[in-house]
Amino acid sequence: MKLGYDDHVEAFRAEFRAWLADHAPSQEAMAADPARSSAHRPDWAKAWARRMFDDGWLVPGWEPGRGGRDAGPIETLVYLEELARAGVPRTTNPQGLGIVAPSLFDFGTPEQIRDYAMPVLRGERTACLGMSEPGAGSDLASLSTRAVVDGDDFVINGQKVWTSGANDADFCFLFCRTDPSAPKHKGISVVLVDMDTPGITVRPLAEIIHPDRAELAEVFFADVVVPRSNLVGRLNDGWAMANGSLAHERGMVWLMSVLELEEDVQELVAEASGQLARLGPIEQAVFADRIAGSYVDALAARALGYRGFAKLVRGGSAPEQALMKAFCSESHQRACLLGAELGADEGTDLGAPGHDPKTTCSWAERYFLSFASTISAGSSEIQRNIIAEKVLGLPRG
Amino acid sequence: MDLELSDEEAELRDNVRTVLAGICPPATVRSVFDGGDPPAALWGHLVELGWPALAIAEEHGGLGLGFVELALVAEELGRAVAPAPLLATTTQFAPAVRELGGAEIAARVLPGVAEGTTTGTLALAEGGRWSPDAVRTTARRIGDRWVLEGEKAAVLDGATADELVVIAGDGDALGAFLVAGADVKSVPRPGFDPTLPLADLRLDAVVVPVDRVLAEPGPGVEQALARAVQESTVAVAAMVAGACRAIFETTVEYATVREQYGRPIGSFQALKHRLVDMYLALERATALVYYAALAIAEDAPDRATAAAAAKAAAGDCQRLVAEDGLQLHGGIGFTWEHDLHFLLKRAKAGDALFGGAVAQRAALVGHLGVMA
Repeated sequence: MKLGYDDHVEAFRAEFRAWLADHAPSQEAMAADPARSSAHRPDWAKAWARRMFDDGWLVPGWEPGRGGRDAGPIETLVYLEELARAGVPRTTNPQGLGIVAPSLFDFGTPEQIRDYAMPVLRGERTACLGMSEPGAGSDLASLSTRAVVDGDDFVINGQKVWTSGANDADFCFLFCRTDPSAPKHKGISVVLVDMDTPGITVRPLAEIIHPDRAELAEVFFADVVVPRSNLVGRLNDGWAMANGSLAHERGMVWLMSVLELEEDVQELVAEASGQLARLGPIEQAVFADRIAGSYVDALAARALGYRGFAKLVRGGSAPEQALMKAFCSESHQRACLLGAELGADEGTDLGAPGHDPKTTCSWAERYFLSFASTISAGSSEIQRNIIAEKVLGLPRG
Repeated sequence: MDLELSDEEAELRDNVRTVLAGICPPATVRSVFDGGDPPAALWGHLVELGWPALAIAEEHGGLGLGFVELALVAEELGRAVAPAPLLATTTQFAPAVRELGGAEIAARVLPGVAEGTTTGTLALAEGGRWSPDAVRTTARRIGDRWVLEGEKAAVLDGATADELVVIAGDGDALGAFLVAGADVKSVPRPGFDPTLPLADLRLDAVVVPVDRVLAEPGPGVEQALARAVQESTVAVAAMVAGACRAIFETTVEYATVREQYGRPIGSFQALKHRLVDMYLALERATALVYYAALAIAEDAPDRATAAAAAKAAAGDCQRLVAEDGLQLHGGIGFTWEHDLHFLLKRAKAGDALFGGAVAQRAALVGHLGVMA
């Protein structure tokens, strides 16, 4: 164990930090035109993606032609730390960069890589992930959106829900049922669907905090025709990609979760003395204890994440990684609730007059929004089932 | 930051675990729970193995390893519920002598620790608090000697240690004094974990000659004491985490083999989720213990907050893991015959030592300036 990094890693950090100082979009530019969803590309985001791609800083671990520089995992960690320190997002289309593009590199045809994956990397196109359905949430394999082979085409009918960024995305990485007679995990395929194809209707689903804030959407497919060449991987073999997708997602997301938790806990600690000053001694003590508890959570999230990461780098398995999603999202939820309760009457406000929840969120809003992380991408309860069976080896019920 | 054990660290941990399983089996622990004395043979083995010398500097006859290695040993002592003076001697007494005393006194005292001929402990706590501001024991200078007067509480191995580091104040500042165990009146506490024997001490005009003064009362003492106490605190946290890991493993195993309603109880989702919560609490505590051990070993600027966070997490961990571990074992875990209670009691007793989770969070509140 050691706290610091080797010299060559620190040299890599210094190189990236210098590059960032020269090329990162300014906070003013980002604030003037914020991304309204996880598939929206403001002009600054397009230019930023292209610059990172061209200079090999988009996915440092990938090869130079794919926006990388063949960096190792520790360098990638340092790279993400530096992006966070600079307050610059790596992408405004995380599911495109983190899940869809890598899945296409693993399973797609050369044409799909050329027409879908590479444009995502260069900031020219954005992707959404069509997974959940009204009848298939945690039990994703029960999905029923149908894709029927018709000559050289698929004809798609059905409905997706909770689709992040569907309103802004250029195409969808769509999980659909291609063999209804097979066992549920064995009749699923993935098809690439351009979102401007006739027959697609996107209905934004306003989020819990505000009617105008709609990152999520329902997507309806009515006789949507896409060429059969848009099939990703083999027919009826899509479930492997559902597992693979989530592995890509979790592999990258833990550090972001740690950083988000740390940032909010730091804010909580910074606000605390002012908020506590107006309270009586017993209230102060109770709140102070909870604040320290959130501080321990944030420090633990970092220690746990880095410990798991170090195991992976050594080529071992890292059960800690399986714990990160539930732990970080639940810790974050506790911290946001604490912030709202500490604010007393202000805590019940969804924001001060003139407050715009599309750009900044009050503690109460953050608390409500925190459920996105405890529910989506495998709810906390599903995470516990997976850990119980896969990590602890407990028998299936 | 690399928080996974290196090959050498993992080898040390595995070696310590294997050796302890051999020389400190449950039967040895049970003999102490059944009223027997701490087994002298076990301490003899540990001395033969050279473990007391592990983190003593080479110039004092030690092996010169660091605090990370010491924390790994402490974790395994918790797992084995080892009844031996190793923890107090190496993680309380030795750091206190090193941090508080000068080079001359360290050179006189620490070789005995390395050889295993001297056991020791730290007499800090009063009134249930391991905080410098709780110290009421007084040190008065009379000629070229100091006279100590007061009471210390819950001193680990306080009735049996050869040497004590006693913390006492002159009214303005704290000082640290080396006192022979024989020179104080000790009253053993009938604790629920007899393998972690605590004693209350009465210092009745104990005279300390000048060559046994580690640090005269003065402004630098509190900081040096804090550094030593951070080591003691994280070592206890490691010990608690080690006991909790054993509880957890035993509970998972039990849930896998114990059948009711025709299936293993571990297949019921209500129990699965509780077991995962135990696992999470355990890994949260372990990761923070390793981080704090590393912060101490590398003398990082955040070693105080890291130590408090580690002990707080160990406290949270034992609370959940002991409770659910006992509950999930059902009736069998409720018996004296089953070995589970050794671990439960070690975990709970360790939580109290050097301040439980609430005391640690209170310390963090101070470090973070939240109440300013």
